[in-house]
Amino acid sequence: MTAAIEVRDATRVFRQSTGVFSGDRLIRAVDGVSFSVESGGCLGIVGESGCGKSTLARLILGLLPTTSGEVLVEGQRLADMDRKARARLIQPVFQDPFSSLNPRRRIRDIVAMPLQAQGITGRAQADRVEEMLVRVGLPGAIGDRVPAQLSGGQRQRVAIARALVLRPRIVVCDEPTSALDVSVQAQILNLLDELRRDLGLTYVFISHNLAVVEHISDRVAVMYLGRMVEQAGTDALFAAPKHPYTQALLASVLTPEPGLGVPDVGLGDLYPDPANVPPGCRFHPRCKLAQARCALEAPVPREVAGHRVECLLV
Amino acid sequence: MAFQLRRLALALGFVIVIGIALVALLAPWITPQDPFLQNLDARMAPPSFMDGGTAAHFLGTDQLGRDYFSRLIYGARISMLIGVLVVVCSGLIGTTLGVVGGFFGGRIDAVVMFIITCRLSIPLILVALTVVAFVGSSLTVVVLTLGLLLWERFAVVARTTTMQVRNLDYIAAAWAAGCSRPYILLREVLPNIVHHLIVVATLEMALAILLEAALSFLGLGVPPPLPSWGLMIAEAKDYMYFSPWVILVPGIALFVLVLGINLLGDGLRDRLGATRDA
Amino acid sequence: MPEAPLLDVRGLRVRFNAQVEAVRGVDLTVERGQTHCVVGESGCGKSVSSLAVMGLLARGAKRSAAHMRFDGQDILGLSDTALQRLRGDRMAMIFQEPMTSLNPAYTIGSQMAEALTRHRKVGKQQALDRAAELLTKVGITAPGLRLAQYPHQLSGGLRQRVMIAMALMCDPELLIADEPTTALDVTVQAQILRLLRDLQAELGLAILLITHDLGVVARIAHKVSVMYAGEVVESASATDLFAAPRHPYTQGLLGCVPIPGKIKRGDPLGSIPGTVPRIADGFTGCGFRDRCAHAMPQCAVSVPQRDDGAGHRHLCHLS
Repeated sequence: MTAAIEVRDATRVFRQSTGVFSGDRLIRAVDGVSFSVESGGCLGIVGESGCGKSTLARLILGLLPTTSGEVLVEGQRLADMDRKARARLIQPVFQDPFSSLNPRRRIRDIVAMPLQAQGITGRAQADRVEEMLVRVGLPGAIGDRVPAQLSGGQRQRVAIARALVLRPRIVVCDEPTSALDVSVQAQILNLLDELRRDLGLTYVFISHNLAVVEHISDRVAVMYLGRMVEQAGTDALFAAPKHPYTQALLASVLTPEPGLGVPDVGLGDLYPDPANVPPGCRFHPRCKLAQARCALEAPVPREVAGHRVECLLV
Repeated sequence: MAFQLRRLALALGFVIVIGIALVALLAPWITPQDPFLQNLDARMAPPSFMDGGTAAHFLGTDQLGRDYFSRLIYGARISMLIGVLVVVCSGLIGTTLGVVGGFFGGRIDAVVMFIITCRLSIPLILVALTVVAFVGSSLTVVVLTLGLLLWERFAVVARTTTMQVRNLDYIAAAWAAGCSRPYILLREVLPNIVHHLIVVATLEMALAILLEAALSFLGLGVPPPLPSWGLMIAEAKDYMYFSPWVILVPGIALFVLVLGINLLGDGLRDRLGATRDA
Repeated sequence: MPEAPLLDVRGLRVRFNAQVEAVRGVDLTVERGQTHCVVGESGCGKSVSSLAVMGLLARGAKRSAAHMRFDGQDILGLSDTALQRLRGDRMAMIFQEPMTSLNPAYTIGSQMAEALTRHRKVGKQQALDRAAELLTKVGITAPGLRLAQYPHQLSGGLRQRVMIAMALMCDPELLIADEPTTALDVTVQAQILRLLRDLQAELGLAILLITHDLGVVARIAHKVSVMYAGEVVESASATDLFAAPRHPYTQGLLGCVPIPGKIKRGDPLGSIPGTVPRIADGFTGCGFRDRCAHAMPQCAVSVPQRDDGAGHRHLCHLS
């Protein structure tokens, strides 16, 4: 069986100008990332800001070309697909429901846009838009409104309806609940989970919120400065994280349990800078277990007890 | 309080511009007399509300005895026509350049920026004067000259706003939905920058009207006997010491129109900005 | 007789225009050396309340209160200049996005020093020494280097540490923190909260912390007030509130939060149907009744304030 998504050694380099007289700087936002998501699965991708998770989302969606490496969707190279075929397979849901909907269009037209692009018009289009709005729990009358008249949660439902109206196989969710209130976040997570099971969708779910990822994903990948440092099944990863960074990340999750106090994540005050990647293991300047060789030798991913880990010390 | 003042300014600008536009449109039906009809016996008649004025000529007559009020009304036609045509022409050029540069970025944008920079290095008045002096003055020449010169603000505004919109998630969603480039440009980008362009259009219209007046004043704009306000000011300058109204009337008309357009533009900027953030 | 609280606010109301009252009779007390968290969703009035306490409301907003005391002194009737003298000196504030509260045109050092010289008679060098000392205290290595840098040269986590250090320049007694860790990564959030907790223990700071994150509340608060639609619907000690939430909104909110390992995958999270209502003038009864599973006819008429006698209060007909 072919995986729904397979990413092989994907790399994306950005050029950043640094000033008038100095040369351009190269930022490897995603650097040699490989993973696959099986059909019907949900891969959660976690990491801090600047780790490259949003760039990775854009690579998978075909919104950005890879500098090297490739992305395969249902066994076909994404780069070889035309835009319409790609759109029928894979669709996004973005973070900010305020910038992801065109403020000048009616909800009905926003949801119809992917159908329009495929040349599906008239009655067939109207029926599918209507069906989709109901499916995501919106009243049909909302079609005539504009985004400004909707709440954050309703807007995110519209974004989900737009993503699903072409009945894609894969949905890439880039921080879909980060801009929402807790109670609305729960509604949207429940909806996404339900839609995945009912429609047999495959999700790539990107978030900085580990509790959310734990709830919705069956597999989790941890990114740090452009690399995927650990991948494992959700339960295995949360029960026994192998990479020191994963351990720190999990330790910093604040669950609403009083008495536990604020954890010591032990990462010091050095923050990662994507434009200035340390040599050797990228995490070594913040790692409390770091040894001398961590600064010299770049680790390669290894399989350890079902985890794919990139650390010299594991 | 400040808010109410702003609304008042917008309303005033709106009334002035619509009023003058209506007058210009309806000119043939509302002018009391033929604006080209000369009457050398009744030259330099003062307005009816001044000493020696007659009821026949509300604003008096000019040096050739033509009815000044009728000429003023026809002058509004010229000003509005020039303003609108120049804005349409420069708006098309500037918006196309700016949107293309902002949307595609990279090398295309570099070329667009170069063209804009070249245009900014051209001394506007001097080139306009030279062209008109060389080709000869007519309404078409004035419109084309100004239209081909006054597009840079459209281009700059269209370019920056397009660049902002281009990076928003709804554009990414349109790409992911498989929409074509023209569709994204016309349906997703353009409607979200058009309110910025409307504001620029008002500014450019005011500028075009003032420039036409300046050209006509120098004798290089609309050729006589067409009654342009700039031309009326030029013709009046020889008589202004004895009959000050001949220069005051078109001068005030010009000031009021440009003020109205600018008030409208400022007001629209506030209002359209507000709806966008709401 | 216990010591009077450092900050004591009763019946705070804020209205922005004739129709909308954003804060409707809020009581807040912050004891010395303790953290009081105000938690709620966007639009519940939690940030407005804290700005009202600081006297930093936008123009056009009107505040009123039964009383508002800082260290026993009435601050409701205080003039702008007197309040300004208090702000940044005895009460300090930190915000969500440190980038907007730091001036990009000045170095960290000159901004921190100014915070001190504005309120105290000290020399520039003395102020810079204190700034360096505080940067070390907030866990910044190489403070000398940071003092000479501009805000844009620092990462978000460092900037928030600088903001905290700057707030501490005049030894404030009360620190008001409005979503201080919301813009930060989770690992940095834990670090900053730890820092606040340690500083509190060391300096006896009273902290009023505004947040939407129940995880943050549980881990750092001594006392919690849950706000909904401009009212405090429940307030209690953190232990009591999380062990036995009484208001249906608090219960609903806690059910919405995913906790790793606690909810089986595939099971839905709890959620609160509907959205926060707009409370127009003349509104009576409970603001939550339209979303509440236990709503009764009398909820539209009145809401009783219930008190268990041990400091656990909530607004509801249910007890």
